[in-house]
Amino acid sequence: MERKEKLWFALLILIAVTFNAVTLSPLIPWQEWRLWSHPTPEKRFFIEMEDYEIRLPEQGIEVNAGEFVEFVVTSKDVTYGFGVFRPDGTIVFQMQVLPGWENKFLWKFDHPGTYSIRSTEYSGPRHPEMFLKDAIRVKS
Amino acid sequence: MAQLGFLEKWTLRFAVVGLLFLALSGLEGVLMRIDLVNEEALLGLQGALNVIRPLGQGASPAEYFYATLTAHPIVGIYGFAYMAIMGAFYFLVPFLLKKEIRFKKLVPVNFFLQIAGVLICWAAGFFLLFNGLYTLYWPLPVSFDRVPVAGTAMFGFGLLLIEINILIFVFNLFATVLRRSNPSPGYSLRRYLMEAFGLSRLVRFLLRKEKSEDDLRYEEMPVFIVAVGRGSIDTVINAFVLLTAGALLVIYAVPALAAGLYLNPQAIDPLIYKNWFWWGLDMVADGNVLMYTAGTWYLLVPLLVGRKLYGESVVRTVILADLLISLGVWSHHLLADQPQPAFLRLLSGQFITWGEFLTMGLTIFAVMMTIWLARPVKFTPPLKFIMGSIFSFAVGGVAGVFQANYGLNVVAHNTQLIVGPHAHTMLLGGLAMLIFAVIYALIPMLTKIEIPNSRWVDVHLWGWLLGAFGMTSAMGWAGNLGMLRRTLYPDGAYQPEMVVALISSLLMAIAFASFLINIIRSLGWRNVLSLFIPQGRQVSPSPPSVT
Repeated sequence: MERKEKLWFALLILIAVTFNAVTLSPLIPWQEWRLWSHPTPEKRFFIEMEDYEIRLPEQGIEVNAGEFVEFVVTSKDVTYGFGVFRPDGTIVFQMQVLPGWENKFLWKFDHPGTYSIRSTEYSGPRHPEMFLKDAIRVKS
Repeated sequence: MAQLGFLEKWTLRFAVVGLLFLALSGLEGVLMRIDLVNEEALLGLQGALNVIRPLGQGASPAEYFYATLTAHPIVGIYGFAYMAIMGAFYFLVPFLLKKEIRFKKLVPVNFFLQIAGVLICWAAGFFLLFNGLYTLYWPLPVSFDRVPVAGTAMFGFGLLLIEINILIFVFNLFATVLRRSNPSPGYSLRRYLMEAFGLSRLVRFLLRKEKSEDDLRYEEMPVFIVAVGRGSIDTVINAFVLLTAGALLVIYAVPALAAGLYLNPQAIDPLIYKNWFWWGLDMVADGNVLMYTAGTWYLLVPLLVGRKLYGESVVRTVILADLLISLGVWSHHLLADQPQPAFLRLLSGQFITWGEFLTMGLTIFAVMMTIWLARPVKFTPPLKFIMGSIFSFAVGGVAGVFQANYGLNVVAHNTQLIVGPHAHTMLLGGLAMLIFAVIYALIPMLTKIEIPNSRWVDVHLWGWLLGAFGMTSAMGWAGNLGMLRRTLYPDGAYQPEMVVALISSLLMAIAFASFLINIIRSLGWRNVLSLFIPQGRQVSPSPPSVT
């Protein structure tokens, strides 16, 4: 290996190590609880998906800003996605919903407001209909 | 045009049909872009097309859209890219090894089976509105309440045909490389595989052995041939895995269609299926595409700039590293699947995937250094397109490894960020531009007709590059704003970004038209048509060519 190749290779390794270290660290806020602290959720919400429908708990979803909540989502037919979106349409978080499995996601909402739920995985031609506006209410 | 030999003619036929499939895939892409701007804009066209597709009556715009979305990648990858690769490799492998292709009769077999397989899959979408998408996430393609059963059966048959054909192609390639033919030596399968995996070097290094005469003979094998061998191993794994997916579709759809017998989809675990499917599918995306691409760069760049490949020994070692990487990266497609063990998502999905940053980084460095050290360099049409493909692979590859991240995937998965700045930058910028470069380089070799380095080439180059990056950037920005892939937004959301993407895709269409005009002007209509007309039926001999 020539000197120039060694230098280039070292630079590539430096970029790879730095990027991975930064993105595994709590600098990305949710990495703190997803990878490192694993807190016990204060609330747990069970959500079912079937036949293009998102079925929320009867009492709805209401959480306090700053508390840890867990979403447990199941599907009775095909793979869906579970995505939470801000009012401006940007994504807060999402996960895949595999049938036959409990799909769990731990989250902490920092800001009060209302959030929408959308299926983030294609599940058939009616997939775009799977949208619940203002389905989550976060109180201060 | 020079009198074409058997392989020259078939290579050009593969290229022409591959380009027709690219045009079809591009048309589908533009139609979907129009849908994403206004989902009702194409209702009139779809209604008119229903004259030839009875099952389309009463279908929703979403059903048309998702059927197109299912056919689009099959036509693009298996129609365009694989046809072009088959044609190019069927010429280059025997040419470089100075031997005949091992089974000549399999060349036309590959040609017609590939066309048939792709058209069957396409027809499953166009005529039967099969909408299971290329991902075929279990059990969606066998959920017959939302996917037409006849479409599933037809798509499954098409997929089987394509994958069997690819296995035949790889068999013929290997048989050609291993063939003993005077004056060229034969190679043993074991040693060729060891060379393809880079294991010979590793064994010598570990055992501190000197190179034997036999080692030297294998080391003289062109890097391109080694890369083709290495990429073909991924191709075989990919074909085998997708073969099982196609077989499952047929097993579930045929009894339902023929006897109303519905097998239980829950007999197959969707998570295990998803692991198996992505492990195999990724052999194309992260295995053979990268290895075939690297191999083609290693071959063409030294030829075009007239200088030996820089750092060839490192390049051969990179091939070994890529063995571990391409076999182990599949979990980056399952980063959003919470039941997937976290260690797999981190190890396979993130860390091993980052290995591609190192291997592709070294590959690109070797190629760029070769060009740099060969200055002054004449930027011929193929070299211009190789530069475009290198740039696109660099951008798309970096976007890909950034997204293959346990943390960032939480907000990036299934958004337009993935399919725009990563997937389409790699495919339209990286892969397609490389194939254009190969076509520009091979045509003079095959026909003795030069493609002039004219404005047509520049319109093609800049139109394609700017169009591809305009489209993928607009998609990426929409993804940043929360736009999902595989989702039609009926309320006109993200319309400004989708208008930019549509205009950019039309710019690519203009660039592609410029390419076709230039090629046909250079070769002449009669010569192009004569590729497909038996010699006895040709009206008059080809006119003398102007070089």
